[in-house]
Formats: sequence, structure tokens, C-alpha cells
Amino acid sequence: MSLNFYRRVAFGLSPQDKLPQEPLSWALNQLNTVPDFLWKGSIPTEKELRKKYGEWVYGDREVLRKKFKNDKNAYRQAKDELRIKTGERYFELNEHAIRHYQTKYGAQPVFERFWLFWGNHFAISEKDFLAEFSTGPYQREVIRPNMVNTFEDMVQAVTTSWCMIHHLDNSESVGPNSKRGIESRDTINENHARELLELHTVSPSAGYTQEDVIQLAYIMTGWSHKWSRKTLETGDVWFDQEKHQKGDKNVLGKKYKNDAKRELAKVIHDLATHPICIKFVSTKLCRHFISDEPTEEMINPVIEAWNKSNGNLIEIHKAVIKQAFKYNDTSHKFHPPEIWLMQLSRMFDLDIPPSAEKMNYAFKSKPTGRQEQLSWILHEIGNSPYRAKQPNGWSDFEVDWVSPELLLRRFWFASVELPYLVKSQNRSHSFILRCLKNNFEDHENMASLIHQFRFGTTDKDLGRQYGIICNLPGVLKV
Amino acid sequence: MNCTRRNFLIGGSTTLFLSGFFPKISFASMQKKNLIIISLRGGMDGLTAVPVIGDKRLKKLRKKLILEDVLKLNSDFGLHPKLEIFHQLWKEDKAAFVHATNIPYTGRSHFDGQNLMETGAHIPYKEKTGWLGRGLLASDIVGKGLAISLPMPLLLRGVPQNNNFFPSPDFVETKLIDQIYDEFKGDHNELIKSTLDTIRQRPLSMQIATDSEDRKKLALEAAKQLKDQSGPRVAVFELDGFDTHAAQGGVDGAHADELEEVNEIVKILYENLGKAFDNTFILTLTEFGRTIKQNGGYGTEHGYGSAILMAGGLLKKSQVYTDWPGLKKKELFEGRDLNSTIDSRAVYNSAMSICFNKDPEFLRREVFWGDDLPNLTEELFKI
Repeated sequence: MSLNFYRRVAFGLSPQDKLPQEPLSWALNQLNTVPDFLWKGSIPTEKELRKKYGEWVYGDREVLRKKFKNDKNAYRQAKDELRIKTGERYFELNEHAIRHYQTKYGAQPVFERFWLFWGNHFAISEKDFLAEFSTGPYQREVIRPNMVNTFEDMVQAVTTSWCMIHHLDNSESVGPNSKRGIESRDTINENHARELLELHTVSPSAGYTQEDVIQLAYIMTGWSHKWSRKTLETGDVWFDQEKHQKGDKNVLGKKYKNDAKRELAKVIHDLATHPICIKFVSTKLCRHFISDEPTEEMINPVIEAWNKSNGNLIEIHKAVIKQAFKYNDTSHKFHPPEIWLMQLSRMFDLDIPPSAEKMNYAFKSKPTGRQEQLSWILHEIGNSPYRAKQPNGWSDFEVDWVSPELLLRRFWFASVELPYLVKSQNRSHSFILRCLKNNFEDHENMASLIHQFRFGTTDKDLGRQYGIICNLPGVLKV
Repeated sequence: MNCTRRNFLIGGSTTLFLSGFFPKISFASMQKKNLIIISLRGGMDGLTAVPVIGDKRLKKLRKKLILEDVLKLNSDFGLHPKLEIFHQLWKEDKAAFVHATNIPYTGRSHFDGQNLMETGAHIPYKEKTGWLGRGLLASDIVGKGLAISLPMPLLLRGVPQNNNFFPSPDFVETKLIDQIYDEFKGDHNELIKSTLDTIRQRPLSMQIATDSEDRKKLALEAAKQLKDQSGPRVAVFELDGFDTHAAQGGVDGAHADELEEVNEIVKILYENLGKAFDNTFILTLTEFGRTIKQNGGYGTEHGYGSAILMAGGLLKKSQVYTDWPGLKKKELFEGRDLNSTIDSRAVYNSAMSICFNKDPEFLRREVFWGDDLPNLTEELFKI
């Protein structure tokens, strides 16, 4: 088994990591518990951040727009001040720091890889101010604790989370025969129902029809945020009986009796345990860890583990890791830019994220360049994690990550930006050699590639060395 | 407008999109022709971009989304005020629209729909290449595709050595690129290898560092490349944000903001292509239109039929091409969406035929599996 296993299922070995004696059990043992966050700076709760979200939208929409109706420039200035005051420019940077810190120093990096996977499976795409305030805490508080529960538990939690409800407009959805629907003639919004089927559970291969989508949307009516004049759309999620479509519903051939808020849990149970859902999600897991086109032989043991454990994610994760181990030396996986960056950061002990002290924010001025640095890099390499373009999240296919510009961005990062992130004590030839030896069988060949450069330690020297090392075929792929 | 099924065709011909014409393409013309595609992701609302005038039913169903003032095209259709450059070009016979059109996809999923809008196929995710990529390959035009986006759109896949332009914040040394190229020589990964080939062949002006957030600069560079006789022949722009489930608005809403971006790209292309604009055809793609009725959030749901916005000197005349299906409940698709009476792929196929100087019959077979797509080259284009 080659050393690339530590990159395949995690982020490679840092200079401080010891080489595991038993790679497979090293990986499997990381999946039983949810590790605490190591980040020493502030980790605000989802609720606290939602309050900030509310302050921002209320302040802008209800106060500033009215106050500065006739003065565009004064409006702009007041808006910039409000951004600072509410942390609109800051919280996402802090979330990236929490996330990156965890993948870089965490003692259960394999668990963290699954955390990234599930956050992307139940993606919150770029919409309104979700990335600014809410997507990060959603990943921490909704996705993460459920990674030791069942898949069904996770779907239940995700579907009724404020973040997903807002993301997919379910608060706008009103049953046409509900009290509200009759009064206002409002109707359903199918968005959330459709994505629950298509992306989160059974996928289109289940063959559901437009009528199934409508019926599921009926079941979901009423699940919405509380609204008040002060908090606007940022109130807690509740079940609003007055919006709920009355009557029995029928999804994928199964009847759900009129049962108000209990209908949703029942239909989620059926979707999350549907054989096609199990196959769809197992395939995605294998795609993430093994190969773009996983074979039946790769996927089947995961499906078996799923069935045997009734969807227990610990067991499912272990089955995936066993398959990743089994196929480690015969399959290849090209990693998306964020994972590549996290691997470089861990393997070469890069100086990101900044320290908790440096990330400290007083809500009095714009974030500093240092505070913005990690988020800026993620954006420039094309993979800002909480800003997927669409609700299907970031692609796990190589073909979506190989274009002239996307490759050039990686060359740019490694040769131009990375040298600034090499800590002063690590600016030596021997340090690079040590990191290579920890992570690559052919470290001698890799070292010979940088022998042609002067072993200088200026940014330019380091740029030439890391520029080639980080973009070798065996580094871009595992 | 009277919402009966009718055609808006000069001379009252009802056969426009129903019968095929034999192409009379002049293969003598060696002047380079440009095909520019703007993908409008999220589902562009054809009835907001090119609204029917005076339809009472639409007014009733879309109380909060009605445009107070529209630019006039003809007695039946108007144009969203943010699409001002199209209106200007319309007056010069350089803008036209196809209405009540879509790809043959009725599933209302963004992801499936966008996949089919780009592959041109019938089953989502089945085809791994884009219709434009296949069209270029079938026309022996290699290395002439330019995408204005960071990832390579599926639309262009299928032909090797496409380029994209979305510059990094700083310059990458040529020597490093050469070195990485050498290291990949022994690798089996053909995709990365051909991508590295493309990088090495990029013109100098594409090696600059710039601000990729600035769409104007990107459109400007695209115009510069397209103007060059030996430059790209195809460019693909990407816009998203058309999925306006809430607060879609009228003249100034969320949909209007997106249309304004389309307008800006076309305007820059028009102003900077100069004479090359006469040999250019611009068209928009979208995965579906939106429901007729506004929803609970003053937005609209995923629908079916939409419109294609077209511009460029290759167009024959200013015209709204449509076989209008009407907006009465029974005329709508599943009682809720504008129907599609024209397979958008017929427009794509005809556009490729004109821009790549290829027989439309040949392309229809090579690119669209011989699907029944009428030849529209004579109607849409100067031949």
C-alpha cells in the first residue's frame, strides 16, 4: 500500500504526524466519534449568526433603503458601515478558518474528509446572505453531529434546518387548500421538494414524476421560518399548520395520510431508506474517495454495509474506507482544488489559516488582508466551499476541474502565493525533502526535480520549487 | 394580444418551422464567422425578456411581475427595458428572437435541464460531450473554442484543445508550465495533457493577469480574440442567477438584473467586434422557461417554454420567430407553462451550419443523432 492512501482518505501527513503502523485501522478508528473543533478563536452558534443575518437584512432593507431613498452615495456608505457592524464581511472568513484548521491539525482527518463530503452532498449554494452568515454554522451544527447517526437522521435534520429551508424557498410554499392558501391564493414552491428527491435522496433514477414532486411539496408545506417585522426571514423553523395542504398525499406510489407535521418524517424515512437512494449515495461516496466512475464491485460492499446497519453512517463510512484501501493502488482520483489546498497545507505546514488572535474581529473596520487571505485563495483557485453555484454542490468529477484556467490557478497558487505561506523555520531544502519523504514513495525523483534550482529560500526560489512539486501528476491525483 | 395559436410570420406563412429548406450555403466565403453562446443558467423567463403585449390572462396571473413599460418590437411583442442593446440592433435588422421554444425536456430540474441544454441529448447525463463540441469536431474546427469561465463548460466538451479565459491574479512563469508539461508526458491522463497543450499555445494577450470579476474586461478580451482572423471561432459566456423563485420583480427585479448582464456582454461585443460583428451570431441558451403564474414569493417556478435572444450581422432580419401556442390554460404545457413549439436545437443546428460552413443535414446527423430538426438557415440567416 502506498503512502498516497493518507491523501486519498485524508490530507496527507504533516511534519508532526507519525507514520501510522496500520494504515487501515488508523483510518477506521477515526470514524466512531465526532471530534471537537480545535479552533481557538470564536465559534459562534448558528442561532447567533442568524441573529446577525437578521440585523443585516433588517438594517439594509427596512432602515437604510428607506432613510436614504434619494441619496445613493450616503446609502452606499451607510451600507458599508452596516456590513462592518454586523460582520457581513467577516463571518465567512472565520468559518473558512475553523474548517481549514480542523483539516490541518485534526487528529481525525478521515472524519473531516467525510464532513466535507456531506456538507457538499447537502450543499447550500450561493444565495442571499447564506454564505456570509449561515452556511458555515449549518455545516458545523447540522451536518457534523449527524455523522455518527443514520443517514435518515441527517436528512431529517437537514430538511428542517433554517439554512436549507431558506436556501430552497420552502417558507414560500403554501398549500393551495390550506387556510392561508384559500385566503391569499398563494400556492406551493416546489424547489425544496424537488431537490430533496433529486439531490438529497433518491435521485432522478428513481423515476419520480412531476406529480410526485407536487405531492411531496404538499407534504412539506408549513415547514417554514417564523416571520416577524423585526427578524424578517431569520426566525426559527416551525411547522405552520395554516400553510399546510390538507388531505392525503401520494409520493412514489405510497399513500401518506393527512397527518400534519408528522407527514414529513414519514416520507423522509421512506426516501432515505429507498434502495435507489442507498445506491445513489453509496456511488457518490465511492466517487469521492475512489474513482470518478466507481464500479459495481467498488460500490456493492458499501450498499451491503448500509443495509446491514440500517443506514448507520459510522458503518457506511468504514465500508467506504475499506474500499478506498482495497483500490488504493489501482484507481486514481483527481481532487478538487480545496482538498488539494488542504493537503498542501497539512503536508508542508503552510501558514494558513492565521492564528485565532489574528482572526479576532472588533466589528469596527473592514477585515484585514490577512483575515481575508485563505478565503481569497479558495476563491481564486475556483473552489470557495460555501459558494457552490447550484444546489448540487461542487462537482466530484475530474473533467469539471481541468481547464486551462483552473490548472493555471493551481500553478499560480503554488508558484506565486504559496511561498508567502512558508513559515520562516521551514524555509529550507531539508524541510521540503522531509515533507516529500513523509508523503511520497518517489520522493527522490521529486527531489531531483528541484535540484536544478538554486536551493535558495527567497520567495522566488521557493515559488519555483513548490510550483513544480505541487503540480506533479502524482500530487494532483492520488 | 389575442391569445390564440397563431404564427407571426411575414406574409402569413405558417410553414416556417414546419418544412425544411435545402441550404444554399456559399462555401466560397472564407471570412471567419463567430458563434457566441451565452448560457443563462437557472431558467430564463421568456415572458419577462420578450413579453407578449396586452395579454389579459398574463396580467391577471402575474400581478406583481408585470413590466410597466417595455420596448416595442412589434404589435404583439415587447422587449424588457434592460435589453436595450437588442432593441437598438433590432432597428438595424441585427437582433431577433425565437419564442415559445425549448430543448425537448420537460422535467423541470435545473441540473438535468442544463445537462441537456449543453449535450443536446434526451436523457440527462447520458452524453458526456456538448453539442457545440461535437459540432466543432464534425466541422474539423479544433482549438477554436473559447470559454469565458473558470471551468470548461460541458457545452464545449467533445473537441480537444479548447481554451478558457478567466485570468489569475498574477502571472505564471512559462518555464514552470513547460516543466509541468514535461512531467505529464509519461502520464496517461489525456485530458490534462491536452489542456496543458492549450495553455502553452495561448496568445500573449491571454497571459496577462487581470481582474476576472470584471465581466467587461473579459468580454472585451473575448471580442479582441474573436476579431482576430486566426483567433477563436466560438465563445461561450456563462451567466447564472435566473432562478427567481422569489422577488422576481418587473423592470427592476432580480430577473431584470440578470438581463442587464446579458445586455452588457452583447453591448461590449457589439462595440468592440467592429466589422467582425457582421460575421457574428450571438444566441442564448437556457434550460427552461418559468411558470406563467407567479408563486407565493412573487417569483415563478420552473417551467418549460422560453425564448432565445439572438444578435449579430449574420441574422437575416429583425423578427420574433414563433409558432405562438397561446396562454389559455388548455394551451399551456401541463396547464401551467408556456409551451414549446420549436425545438431549440433546430436553432443551434442551423447556427452551427452557418458559422461553421457545414451542411445542416450533415450536422444534424453528426451532432443530434439525426433527430427531426427543421433546417432554419434560410429563415434566420443571410445566405
